[in-house]
Amino acid sequence: MKRIVVFLLALTMLLTMAACGSSQDSGSAGSSSGTLTVNIWDSNQQAGLQQIADEWSKTSGITAKIEVVDWDNYWTLLEAGASGGTMPDVFWTHSNTVQLYMDNDVLLKLNDYIAADDAIDLANYYEGIVGLYTRADGNVYALPKDHDTIALLYNKAIFDQYGVAYPTADWTWEDMYEAAKAITEGSNGDVYGMAMNTSNNQDGWYNVVYDYGAQIINDTHDGTTIGSSQGKAAMEMVRKLISVGAPQSVVAETGTDSLFMSSKCAMITQGSWMINAFYTAEHHDDYYWSLLPYADVNGNGKCDSGERYSAYNGLGWAAAASTKNPDAAYSLISYFCSKEGQLEQSKLGVTMGGMKGVSEEFANAFPGMDVSAFVEAESYDLFFRPYTRKTTVWEDALQQAGGFLDPWQNPSDAALMEKACDNAQAIIENAIANE
Amino acid sequence: MKASAKKRSAAAKNEARWAWAFIAPTMLGLIILNFYPVINTVYQSFCKTGDFGRGNTFVGLANYAAAFSAGETWHSIWNTVKYALIEVPFGVCIALILAVFLNKKLKGTSAFRTIFFLPMVCAPAAVAMVWKWLYNQQFGLLNNIFHSNVAWISDPHIAWISIGVIGVWSVIGYNMVLFISGLQEIPGDYYEAAAIDGATGIRQFFHITVPLLSPTTFFIVQTRVIGALTVFDLMFMVMDKTNVALQNTQSIVYLFYTYAFTNGNKGYGATLVVILVLFIMLVTVIMQRAEKKLVFYN
Repeated sequence: MKRIVVFLLALTMLLTMAACGSSQDSGSAGSSSGTLTVNIWDSNQQAGLQQIADEWSKTSGITAKIEVVDWDNYWTLLEAGASGGTMPDVFWTHSNTVQLYMDNDVLLKLNDYIAADDAIDLANYYEGIVGLYTRADGNVYALPKDHDTIALLYNKAIFDQYGVAYPTADWTWEDMYEAAKAITEGSNGDVYGMAMNTSNNQDGWYNVVYDYGAQIINDTHDGTTIGSSQGKAAMEMVRKLISVGAPQSVVAETGTDSLFMSSKCAMITQGSWMINAFYTAEHHDDYYWSLLPYADVNGNGKCDSGERYSAYNGLGWAAAASTKNPDAAYSLISYFCSKEGQLEQSKLGVTMGGMKGVSEEFANAFPGMDVSAFVEAESYDLFFRPYTRKTTVWEDALQQAGGFLDPWQNPSDAALMEKACDNAQAIIENAIANE
Repeated sequence: MKASAKKRSAAAKNEARWAWAFIAPTMLGLIILNFYPVINTVYQSFCKTGDFGRGNTFVGLANYAAAFSAGETWHSIWNTVKYALIEVPFGVCIALILAVFLNKKLKGTSAFRTIFFLPMVCAPAAVAMVWKWLYNQQFGLLNNIFHSNVAWISDPHIAWISIGVIGVWSVIGYNMVLFISGLQEIPGDYYEAAAIDGATGIRQFFHITVPLLSPTTFFIVQTRVIGALTVFDLMFMVMDKTNVALQNTQSIVYLFYTYAFTNGNKGYGATLVVILVLFIMLVTVIMQRAEKKLVFYN
């Protein structure tokens, strides 16, 4: 007994010392003069971006080392860095969190650099992304790296098996409902016609809400219309879809992507950032992308302006205000966001550009898979991913019990969905009031 | 006389200096990594915290008032207690029985000891991921073997038990090793004498092993109760954010994580942690009282 206690104590001591040692290690891993540390969270993009960064190194003579930190740890590390540690020199920003970083002056202000840079003209980029990274006082803290759109992904083999017609560009959400219903019923529930979790917001039900004329967050970022009659009509459509789709307990345990890839589900909606995962999947020959369905609100049988929306979001390239080499950091950002870097990015199939008009090449980056639906979505309406100062607070609450999880769990009950819309209205308004 | 006393104190001083030098690394580590954060956490629990640790404003007991009036705080404390009620008794009883068997001189005991200890060596996150797939309703091994269709981790009535089972499985090995070391300190004479008097194995177990092992048992129970009340990784890894049963399984530390790290509300998160610490203190005091009555020291 005693021995074990002594052993445990010794172990605790060792661990404490090891913890001391390792924290010092990571602290000293800052930037030395000839290198820039670049942090991103998506390993799918690492190889392509490193290739572009190496091009930049050839002219600048400075090495840029791109390191991947997974999404959760990325924000923990960045926050720790911003709170007094060492931040990477150059890194990605996201609409969920960037407001905090901009408000606290931890990002490098880019206005003067942009003004002196011929390669960058903010008018060439998507307005929503530029707007996101511009503070109310006009300071710009990041340049648009990319943008993404949403499309419908379907498995042709399942459609063939149950004799259902493939999705077309003329599909409404009602058509999607009919097809999903036919497959779910045709297979006696063995295969689900569609699947959508409450967490499939940007890549799922948000799009329906905008199609019907409501907004998750309004243009001034201080309110919502999810509880309006349009919002309720949209969520009623969503309720119908999930009533013929995979049950909530299934999508929460297995995930919609896994369901789709294991041929248990015929249709999901997904964002362009996920193409590579499906492109490299086992049955990728059966996978096809189609334009997102629209909502025929005025009932004239064709898609009018405002009836087909796709969410879009854009990451930004930002630099730390504390970087030892701000000129080099901006130079790298400028290269990534210049026309040359943006074209290269879409040609390599990394992502579509943050600059307008550079994404045509992206459709050709995946031989054997037609991803033109993502580019085509741009000829319809786009809305920027809804955000406020503390997006995750209400975004998470909407996905859970008290939010939309209740009707998702029980999709046959229309009154439940209507109530959830009212709850969602209150959740978002409360969250904004407390920001 | 006086001179020798002085001399001794100089030697003692010298010794003390060395003692301080030896414990300094650990003390520094504890002060910087443990004591300072503890004090800072208590301070933050009285604050509306600013971004990146700047601009904290003192709000007194507002966070505590909010935490105590929120139903989810009490619900998650109850979830944590439910988890402890599964993990501690089952983890202790099963480990004790295994320890008694593996303490006998049989072939292959060391192989079995290693097998039962293996879960302790695995990374908790990896353990949770494997169990998550075992429990999966569609593709999970459990439902496949039993030809059942149970939503092990999505049914609010079952999920907390499923999570508890993972906890029990994970700690059995650790508890068992402690029990084995305790068993080896019980003199063999007692068992010989009992056997001569005609006591069966089961009587020996309840009248010799259990009482003489009670200090070890108490140590294990006390450390495991504290461990169980601070559980986080199991729920975090196994339960998806959109899982229907999450509200019935999330522990108080999970709630703390949500507020402090997902929602960036460090002050409220600190409050939840302070409440948890007070709760653990209360439980520990009660257990220490019980020790005097229940534990047998010879």
